[in-house]
Amino acid sequence: MAFTRRQFLKRAGVAAASSMIAPSIFGSPFVRNAFADTIGDRYLVVLYLDGGNDGLNTIVPIDDPAGYRTAYEMFRGAGGGGIRIEPGELSVPSVVSAQDPGTTTELGFHPGLAPLSAMYDAGNVAVIQGCGYPDYNLSHATSQMIWETANPTGNPAITGSGWAGRHLALEYGPQDIYGVTIDNSIAGELRTSGTSVLAINRLSRFGFPFDDFDTDESIYAEAFQDLANQAAASPQPLMSLLGNAGASTYDATQAYPPLDDLYETARSGFDIAYSALGTSTAKDLREVAKCIFGVATGQPNVNARFYQVRNGGYDTHADQGGATGRHFNLHDEVASAVDLFFQDMNDMGIGNKVTMVVYSEFSRRIPQNDNGTDHGSQGPMFVIGEAVNGGMYGNHPDILDLDGSENTKYTQDNGNAARSTDFRDVFGTILKNWVNMPEPQILSSVLPLDTGAPDDFWTVQDFDLGFL
Amino acid sequence: MGDQNTIIDESDVRHILKRTGFGPAAKDMKRAKKLIGATRGAAADYLLEQKRKVLKAKGKELIDIHRKWVKHLTKGKTPFLDKTVLFFHDHFSVSASVLEGYPESITFHLQLHYTHALGNFKDYCKAINTDLAMMIFLDTDSNQKAIPNENYARELCELFTIGVTDLNGVDNYLQEDIVQIARAFTGWRVKESENLAFLKTSQHDTMAEFPSRGPKVLFDSAHGFPPGGASFTTGGEGENEIDEVIDILFDHLDSDGMNTVARRTAYRLIEFFCYANPDKTIVDDVIADSGFDTNWSIEQLIRSILVHDAFFETKAAAPHTALTKKSVKWPIDYIVGTMRMLRMKPVGKELEIPGGDFDPITEHEINMGQLIGEPPSVFGWDWEEGWISSSTLLARYTFARDLVNARTKARFKPLKFVDKDLTDPGQIVDAITTALNISDQLTAAERTELIEYLTDNGVSPTLNLDDETTVNVKIHGAFGLAMQSAAFQVH
Repeated sequence: MAFTRRQFLKRAGVAAASSMIAPSIFGSPFVRNAFADTIGDRYLVVLYLDGGNDGLNTIVPIDDPAGYRTAYEMFRGAGGGGIRIEPGELSVPSVVSAQDPGTTTELGFHPGLAPLSAMYDAGNVAVIQGCGYPDYNLSHATSQMIWETANPTGNPAITGSGWAGRHLALEYGPQDIYGVTIDNSIAGELRTSGTSVLAINRLSRFGFPFDDFDTDESIYAEAFQDLANQAAASPQPLMSLLGNAGASTYDATQAYPPLDDLYETARSGFDIAYSALGTSTAKDLREVAKCIFGVATGQPNVNARFYQVRNGGYDTHADQGGATGRHFNLHDEVASAVDLFFQDMNDMGIGNKVTMVVYSEFSRRIPQNDNGTDHGSQGPMFVIGEAVNGGMYGNHPDILDLDGSENTKYTQDNGNAARSTDFRDVFGTILKNWVNMPEPQILSSVLPLDTGAPDDFWTVQDFDLGFL
Repeated sequence: MGDQNTIIDESDVRHILKRTGFGPAAKDMKRAKKLIGATRGAAADYLLEQKRKVLKAKGKELIDIHRKWVKHLTKGKTPFLDKTVLFFHDHFSVSASVLEGYPESITFHLQLHYTHALGNFKDYCKAINTDLAMMIFLDTDSNQKAIPNENYARELCELFTIGVTDLNGVDNYLQEDIVQIARAFTGWRVKESENLAFLKTSQHDTMAEFPSRGPKVLFDSAHGFPPGGASFTTGGEGENEIDEVIDILFDHLDSDGMNTVARRTAYRLIEFFCYANPDKTIVDDVIADSGFDTNWSIEQLIRSILVHDAFFETKAAAPHTALTKKSVKWPIDYIVGTMRMLRMKPVGKELEIPGGDFDPITEHEINMGQLIGEPPSVFGWDWEEGWISSSTLLARYTFARDLVNARTKARFKPLKFVDKDLTDPGQIVDAITTALNISDQLTAAERTELIEYLTDNGVSPTLNLDDETTVNVKIHGAFGLAMQSAAFQVH
């Protein structure tokens, strides 16, 4: 049977993109793993806390063999404008401990994270302390881009694409859809020109807009797709991006909106529970749940395995609050929504197939300013799910030795602690032990090691941190 | 190589109006008819001489101000000023919702943009320092001497003036510079009842009170400044410090010894009016031509951009090559420009877009990813590829569908653009793409796709536009397809 022109263009598009990605088929780490997607029947959800989450008030020192509590109380005031959290206010303070050599510091979760600390008790949350990167940058935009691209040193081989996007581009074709952002725009970590990523704000509003006067939608649809595929074949990068995005969007408008009704009908209890929480994080995670339910129940042309959700508002220069207030509200929103989401996944019977990683572009300054905190360096990451080996990983950031040798750019003491874990080891551990990418391929094409002289560059990987 | 004396033709004029305004509508082209056969310089002067009026958008709620602003844009009275204001609205980003309880501050904020957008950039930055909305948005009004709040100081350097790095990727400042600038802004407060910014001296950081913080200086032995750095207390300590900080930033030199503010501002304006990642030589050309690094005249800088070859690059006709420059239309440009091309208007108090669900214009803006007045953060919007996602494209497709779907109230009238006597599908496609200003932007293959749509793949080789159903389905449909095409999403 002859190909229709549309099929031909699609195939031509695949071939063209593959040849750009793979200069040499043999021995190249860039060769696509044809058809054998490594993530298999699992899912990865990235939750980004936008604005710089204050790590020291997220996982807080309680007792003091290492002197962290004393330091904490020096940096974080009590009373009016103070943001200190007292041990009795912390959630489930007894369960966590850091692994600094020779010391065991008891730590507690911010009270807003109560649901998350309960999940920690159940062994489903890993906290990786002190995550950062060399020469930390205090700009939101720059630091966010560094986390999304996993490229703090400006390595030209990987600029412009997200770390998860680079994985997707190796695995899938230009109009395949394996990544979904729950937002109007595509999340930085999923960006790639090699494959298609959906940005869906709400599935219920994701149908293709036909003119209802035209009773034969198929003719219009064919013309739309043909036009999109013509643009996709353009050598001009923006035209080709618009064409591929248009064609894959059309496909998704056919496959994804039915998931909305499907979920509402089949899982009405959870649907209502997300509504009851009412927060944007809860509603966004519900959209993820709808998509995952669609994949898990084998709905046609629904294949997304990588999701990104974002919650904003963490830039707490002022009015941060301590055990209550703005930071509490942020934590409470996220922890409640994540807790419900995993109850939903467990109820679907796939709690052990879904892993979530939570990060922020930086933490905040160790000493507070009058009633908030300025931009900082390292902070804790969370990896959540039934498959996770819960517990505390990485060393507590050394808040007794601020402004050490970590940062070569900022000469003046400004109140930041050195990172104890490079965030790329966390992403690498996920890619290796959850997404099942071979370690050499992760290093060659997703997370290349830093090259260059400075001592604190990331030159040796550890993709077996142990939480997966 | 062209310059301001290069003669321009009809397509150049269309391009100029497209990039410096919204549309253009046929009437905009008619008004600018005298520019055909004139020079690039004459066209630039035509824009510079265009009417300017400070928009006074008042309202009890932010949404009222928003609607007045958008309505003003659709009227197209001062398009060049409007478009430049949009650039600076993104550059000096304030998310209005933070000021929900204080809408007057947004009225003033918008007035400030309309006053300065084509004025002197140094004065503009000084005015932004004490703009009430900005002071609240970036915490200047809670910046206390005990621990200076770095929020505004950092964005002033990073976003408004010199940038984190220069065009060679070399760092422009140190953390200690940010700390010093933060000191200058300590104690500045907003008196909302009088719409006034003032310095509360008891909260202002002085060198006597904080000797360990050192002298108030910036850029010690770097960026063209002497050992010991540049002091921002030459007029004593107090109100003058924040103006002096701006003066110092405007003297900052980059790693090529060129003025950093001039280069960064020119670079961003070229990205706005032309395309992303322009060559450094273009940046230096337009600064040299305009004298922007000494006179700080924004209108002269833009004039130099408008007569430069770079400005005309995105105009290249299809088919494009890998090297052709293109720039994705901003959503507000897509909305307002398309309505002007099609002679349509938002209707009702809520400015509903005719057709479909008659959604308010704000819905369309939000779904396309650009609710003006409400940039997602101080970084403004993410341009170019950042505008493109399945979600935002669907929003554009929906907007296009709504317009062609408008058959009752404020209806779409395609036969204003397509001669009723036409029968040849190729000529009909050309009339449609001409109305949408993309007649030279479709490849032959794309044009053929539209012809095939009109003729049902050749089944009906000619069309009869006296037949209402043909018009309602095929002509409306072809307009929709053209507005959803990749070519129509870009400049």
